[in-house]
Amino acid sequence: MAASSKTQVLSLYRMLLRESKKFPSYNYRTYALRRVRDGFRENRNVDDPKALEQLLNRGWDSLAVIQRQVSIGKMYEVQRTVVEHGEKKPH
Amino acid sequence: MASRALAQCVRSLGRSSARLTQGRVVTRSFCAPLVSIQRPFSAISCNQRTKWTELIRISGSAGQPCRRYGDLPPLTLESIRDRVIYVLKLYDKINPEKLQKTSHFMKDLGLDSLDQVEIIMAMEDEFGFEIPDAEAEKLMTPEEIVQYIAEKKDVYD
Repeated sequence: MAASSKTQVLSLYRMLLRESKKFPSYNYRTYALRRVRDGFRENRNVDDPKALEQLLNRGWDSLAVIQRQVSIGKMYEVQRTVVEHGEKKPH
Repeated sequence: MASRALAQCVRSLGRSSARLTQGRVVTRSFCAPLVSIQRPFSAISCNQRTKWTELIRISGSAGQPCRRYGDLPPLTLESIRDRVIYVLKLYDKINPEKLQKTSHFMKDLGLDSLDQVEIIMAMEDEFGFEIPDAEAEKLMTPEEIVQYIAEKKDVYD
């Protein structure tokens, strides 16, 4: 993997994780974090530039979806689940 | 607050009834007690207001200067190091027994670049500031992270 695409992938990974952490709802938040981690690990050995670009585009689309869903989620009050009792509020 | 609202209510009542009773002598005499009631109410509210401001002034000046907003104990190199190691030990892919201050995340601990990104994000959460990508990718050992955070937070001892 070229150095430039590696930094690109890592910065996309970081942005996806950072955005996923903002979900107010516990279920969406943990799912998004898990899915992002698994998705990147699944394709860690992809070397083909074409496939890589496709995956990157999918990542950018997912980022947009997550951003939109986070802001929609923030419009409504969520009921906190039992497991996150006492945890500090995600921001 | 309640007394103020009440006083305002009485005042507006007096005003509207005064408007209604223009020229009517009988009702004006009825209105008079209302107006006279209004005075003690507003007097009470005035009194309370001054009392409040006095209270605030007293607590402001007499109390020792204690700030009630968020303040953390000052960071030292030692505390930064402890917190960094603590966060790293909690990361599930790191074996806490193998972890040394100088161990390289990839060479010694067998992590990959995705793990390193996650570690740096955990550090951001722990210390409450963002580490830019360009600098984050250079931080490969716990000691480097400690040095970087100390530099950013102006800790030099």
